[in-house]
Parts: sequence; C-alpha cells; structure tokens
Amino acid sequence: MCCHGCRAAAEWIEQLGLGDYYSLRTEPATKPDPADAADRNGCLAWQRDELAEHVVRDLGEGRRETMLFVEGIRCTACVWLIERSLQSLSGVATVQVNALARRARITWIDRQVSLSQILERLARTGYRAWPLHAKALDDLRRHEARDALKRLVVAGFGAMQAMMFAAALYLRGADALDASADALFRWLGFIVATPVVLYSAAPFFKAARRSLAARRLSMDVPVAAAIALIYAASLFEALRGGGHVYFDSVSMFVFFLLAGRYLEMRARHHAGDLVDALARLTPSVADRRRQDHSLERVGVHELRAGDRVHVGEGGLVPADGVLLSATCRVDEALVSGESAPIVRRCGDVLIAGSVLVDGPVDLQVERVGADTVLAGIANLVERAQVERPQLARAGEQATGRFVVRVLSLTVLTAAVWSVIDPSRAFAAALAVLVVSCPCAFALAVPAVITRALTVLAQCGVLVVKPDAIAALAQISHVVFDKTGTLTMPRLTDVETFNDASPERALRLAAALARESSHPLARAIAAACHEVALPAAAQVSSKAGLGITGIVEGRELKLGSSRFVAPDRHWPSHADAILLADPTGVIAAFHLSEQLRPGMREVIDQLKEQGLQLHILSGDAPAKVADVAAKLDIANWRARVSPAEKLSELVTMRAQGARVLVVGDGVNDAPVLAGADVGVALASGAEIARASSDIVLAGERLSALVTARRIARESMAVIQQNHRWALLYNLAAMPLAALGLVPPWLAALGMSFSSLCVIGNALRIGRKGSTVTAPAPPPLHATPRAA
Amino acid sequence: MNAVLITIPLALLLLALAVGAFFWAVDHGQFDDLNTPGLLPLDEVQKDAPRDDPEDSAP
Repeated sequence: MCCHGCRAAAEWIEQLGLGDYYSLRTEPATKPDPADAADRNGCLAWQRDELAEHVVRDLGEGRRETMLFVEGIRCTACVWLIERSLQSLSGVATVQVNALARRARITWIDRQVSLSQILERLARTGYRAWPLHAKALDDLRRHEARDALKRLVVAGFGAMQAMMFAAALYLRGADALDASADALFRWLGFIVATPVVLYSAAPFFKAARRSLAARRLSMDVPVAAAIALIYAASLFEALRGGGHVYFDSVSMFVFFLLAGRYLEMRARHHAGDLVDALARLTPSVADRRRQDHSLERVGVHELRAGDRVHVGEGGLVPADGVLLSATCRVDEALVSGESAPIVRRCGDVLIAGSVLVDGPVDLQVERVGADTVLAGIANLVERAQVERPQLARAGEQATGRFVVRVLSLTVLTAAVWSVIDPSRAFAAALAVLVVSCPCAFALAVPAVITRALTVLAQCGVLVVKPDAIAALAQISHVVFDKTGTLTMPRLTDVETFNDASPERALRLAAALARESSHPLARAIAAACHEVALPAAAQVSSKAGLGITGIVEGRELKLGSSRFVAPDRHWPSHADAILLADPTGVIAAFHLSEQLRPGMREVIDQLKEQGLQLHILSGDAPAKVADVAAKLDIANWRARVSPAEKLSELVTMRAQGARVLVVGDGVNDAPVLAGADVGVALASGAEIARASSDIVLAGERLSALVTARRIARESMAVIQQNHRWALLYNLAAMPLAALGLVPPWLAALGMSFSSLCVIGNALRIGRKGSTVTAPAPPPLHATPRAA
Repeated sequence: MNAVLITIPLALLLLALAVGAFFWAVDHGQFDDLNTPGLLPLDEVQKDAPRDDPEDSAP
C-alpha cells in the first residue's frame, strides 16, 4: 500500500467482494483492449531519452519518478482504478493520484518497466496521460474549462426550452389541444432534450462506462443510468403516442448536475493555481561563483554542468553537484522523503532540491534539467496535495458505500412494485435512483476544502498540507518563536575594542552574517550599506550559537558571547552579538528588537478566541520577559535550544494540547514539523517552510486570526453538509420508494441538494469585513492630473 | 395555433443561432478569464501612456 487512499480503496473493494478482480488483473494478457495506433505512438515517443529527461527524475538505484497529468479523472473511483491498474504492472513502485489536481506521481524501477509502458497501460485503462509540463497543463485546463462551459450552456438552453414545451403539455387540460398538438409538443421536447443527453451528458456516460468496464461503482453510474432510463422511457412513450414524457426532467437533471460540476471544476482550477503560486514562492535562482570567486545571481536554468555554485545555510541545492566544501548536513526530505539530515563530505553528491541544514557550501554542478530548485519545491507542495486530507478519505468511503445502497434500493423498489403494481414500478425505481444524492455526500468535504484553501490563499495563508485545516480548527495552544516572528531585530549600536573602527567591524561582520539566514544575522547584514563586501570562506555555522569563517585572511567568529568567547564572562554583553578573531574580541553589536507592527492586536484577538499563548525562545531571559510583558503573554521560556523546544512541545501535546507553532528560522524546523500545525513565514528559511503545514505570505501574522476563524467555519460547514446530505436522503428515499415522488421532482430535489452543499461551502469567508483582503495588485486608480 | 407553427421553428432557429454564437465566443477565449477583465478599467495606465510620458518629461 502506497498511501491511506489505497488502503481505503482496497478495504472498499474487499467489502464489495471485488478483491479477486485485481488478482486476475495482474496477468496483463487478461485485458487485451487494443489502444488505438495514434495513442500508442504518443506513448512510444517517451522512450527517447532526450524527451524523457525533462520530465523524469532519477531517484538512484534504477528508480525513476515522474508526475503525470491524467485527463478524464472524474471522481475518486478513477483514482482507485488508476492506482490499482498501475500497481499491477510489475516494476511500478508507487502510484499516488490526486483527483483534485488530476495528477499522478509514479515511481518505477527502470529495468523492469518504462515510462512508455506506463502511459500505454493508462491509455488501455481509458485514461490519457501526459508527463507534466507546466505549459501543457495550462492548455489542458483551458480546454477543460471551455468544454465544461459549452456543455453547461447547451444543457441550460435545452432545459429551458424543454420546460416550455412541457408546460404546454401540462396545461393542455384547459385549452383542450388535440392529439396531434400533444404529439407535436412531445417531439419538440425530444428535439431539444436530445443534444442535452447526447452532448452535455456525454461525460457522465463515458465515466460510467469506464467505471463499469473496471467493474466498480462510482458516483457516475447511478447518474448515467438515471439519464439513460428517463430518456429512453420518454422516447418510448413518445413513439407509442401516449403516457407521460420526461424530456424536461432529464434536461433539468443534466443541467443542475453540470452546474455543480462546473463550480467544482472552477474551485479545482483555483486550487491548481494555488499550487503554482506556492511553487513560485521560491525564486529559482542560484549564486554562481565567477572566476574571481565573487558571486553572481543567475537563474537556475542558466546553470551548466561544471559551474561552481554557492548555497547558504537553510538554502536549497539548485542542481545536482559534487560538494567542494569540507562537510555539511543536508535534509533530503524533498527528494527521498527521509527527514533526518544526512552528513555529506567533500566529494559527495548533493541532490537538487535538498535543503542545506548547516554551513554554507560550494558545489560543482553536474546535472541540471528536471532536477531544479523549482522542481524540488513544487514537488514538495504537490506531494502534500497528493496526500489527501483524512476528512476527504473518510468522505470517499462513505460515498462508495452509499452508491451501493442506492443501487440495491432501486432494484428492491422495482422488484416490490412489479409485484404490487407493475405499471408504477418503473416510475418509482426511477425516482429512487434520481432522488438519492450521492453528490451531496461526495461534494460535502472537497467543496469545503477547496473553498477554504482558496479563501485562505486570498488572505495570504498558503496551506501546504490540507490536513492542517482540520487541525487548525482544533488547536488550543499557540507557541511563538520570538526573534524574527514576534519581533524584528535592528542594529542600534556598534561597540569596538582593539581600536577597530565601527565601519570596518561592521563590514567584516556583515560579510560573515550574510551567509546565515538567522534574523539577527540578517539584521547585521542589512545594516551594512557597503556594496562590495569581502567574500567569506570556509564558513560554518552552529544553529542557535553563531557562525565562523575566514574573511580577508582573518579567522572570524560571530555570535553570542557563549560561542565567541566562552572562556571569558561578558556580563554587560549577554545580549550582544560579538565579533572576534583569534587575538580577541573585535566588536560588539547591540541589537534592539521591535515588535512587528500590529502584533499586540493579533495577540489580543488570539486570546479572545480562547487560545493559550506561549513564547519559547533561544534568546536571553530579560529580552523575552520584556516582549512577553509588552504582549501580555504569561507563559514564556528563554534560552531554549531547538531540542528543548521539541521536548516542551511533546510535553504539551502529551497533556492533550493541540499546538500551533509559529516560527521562521532554521532552528524552528524540527518544532514546526512536530507541531499539530506548523506555521512558517514566507520570508523565513526554506527548511522552516519545508517543515511547516501553513506558510504565511507577506509576513502578516494577523492572517493567522483569520485563518483560524475560517478553519473553524469550514469544519462547521462540513458538519452541516454531512447532516444535510443525510437528512435529505433519509427523507427523500422512502418517499420515492413509495412512489410518491414524480421523477421531475426527484431530479429537482437531487440537484437542489447538491447545489445546497456547494452553496453552503461557498459561504465560507463571505461573512464580510473580518476577512482581511490582500493588497490588490498595483492598479493605478488615482486620477492623473490633466 | 397557426402562430405557434411559425414561432416554434423560429424559436428553435434562434436557439441554434444563440448556441452557435456562444460556442464561437468560447472558442475565441471570451470566457477564459472572467476575473481580470473586470479590473482592467481600473487600470489607468493605458497602452498609449508610455508615448505620453517622454513628452511630459522632455526639457
């Protein structure tokens, strides 16, 4: 089992007693559907290495990975089908399909199977798949949106016209039209309903056929069956020249279904845009060394094999290359999923997309291409998206069970009525099929999650892991890191020793400090306005203590007094950052901290929501106490190492607290990863963002208040949706089974119930003023002077 | 009744024309982006703006 989704799928298949199907299926010869020639050629093209290298990533040991865009995923059953059908292919290691983004991540062993074989298998299963290219994706999205809009409008026009002609039939009693006029209006209904059924409803039939061919039941099966039954029965009645025709019902049914699907598709495309936005958060640039060892910033695509690249602490490795510096630790979680940092020594290979945990390093580029920074980060986000939220997984299982029950109830109804009154059997069975609304169940969670993701993204809250929405609604404690999160450090004073000038000391310190992503280091680097800083060599850093390196031939240390001068006591400089060379301390940098603007209001609002607030900081007690007093936070601890923070977190969680951690630094990464919800600032270290569940763009912590409110709202709406779907189905199905609901009313009821669920989800974030709108794009709305 | 015999085919014809026009509009990208065009009138920087500016700043 590659993921929970597969387990859920397998359990469901077992429940249906369909488990044997897949054991039969592992024999490739049992499914000899010939793919058409054009498709096959398209697949074979990917055997060429030149083409494949842009989309395939080598995971080493013959394992390869690619991301496919799969056209035609309609519902979660397709996901199971694709996962199972590919996993039966020998050599395919893992398959993860994201129905929402329509993407499949596949890893396989190169000797046993090839990308073209995988694509061919997918084509035979009935899905066209493309290895992912950003541009191709955009075009497909546009194609899909246009197609859906056309089908929707045809169904809308058709439904309106069919209704009009049906009205003439319903009202005929008063006007006493003759039999030929009756026939005329029936056939007119047929004319306008036919394009609706054959064109607009075609996707339902296609999906149902595919799902039946795979011997499984998706949401589309009862829908397609209902449409076909109503249409065929009406046509039969029209030919026979009597009875009731339901051309208006079937058109309306299709129209409302398509309206729901259209809204869902729009939300899904928005979510896709969100992924793109997250991928763009990280600039795809690298620092390349020139001949004279100075650095230049270049686009990752400009890198060539043989280039020397410099990577700062907490930065991403831009391309595959050989380590030139002595030693470093890297986190290859993005690439291998292994989260513990790995030590690499001079001559070892660094993999693109991995995060440098300590020490800036140089490396020699060996490979570029699909293994870029962008690919790495996008990878992370997409992997997070493929991990479907637990809520959604539970919803899918419920939907699957529900469809089975509906179909059995339909058969039962038909059987019972054919004994009691055969003439009403058809109408009653049809009503059961139509009135039951698996869509309301199926849409209850995804509609809410996509809506919540979109609203949150608009407020600058980028949710990397969708599970975070549920977790965010339940948090009870908030833990803040101080430096860089609550406060922004600023250099106020430079004190020098040994007759060094402050400018010179600052220059040396800045040369070293810019190698680190720590907020204090960044403040020192930012305070030096000199452009041409000397290069620092052999830089290495110790998280939470300081940084060492060689600048202009002098071996320098920059950091807290504990780190720089452990043998001497510096009572007056406990909070200062010291710069020293082997002969002694050169300068002390005094930094003052300012609260981030609006922080007090954020804290007050969080308290109003009933949250317990804590500060855990590695900083000196006096400073932490000062900030805590200003913000009126009673619980704080100072001088806490990352490991202590983590153990504190474990203690809190053991006591039943649901903890949200806000941080931005490299040293916050383990705490962020260990929290129920980790929130990182977009400006923070990459590793912090990589280990977090939520990224705050634009550094506005006020968005956190909004985010929690929206998360709670979402959870409430999900509950409402589930209750509504249950209530509606429990109320409507018995009535339909008793033959009390005419099919047209059933169609209206089903569509109404789906639209209620979607409409309810769209309510999230609509409550007006409390949602802080993001800064609008820079439009020049001020009138120009004439 | 005779009026109906004329108006109904006329209605169907208009319907076909409307659907045809809509398909044409969709295929020509009229519905691809429903958000951005609404903001465009707010943008004061017109396409001819760069041509104006050098004249204003000319000595």
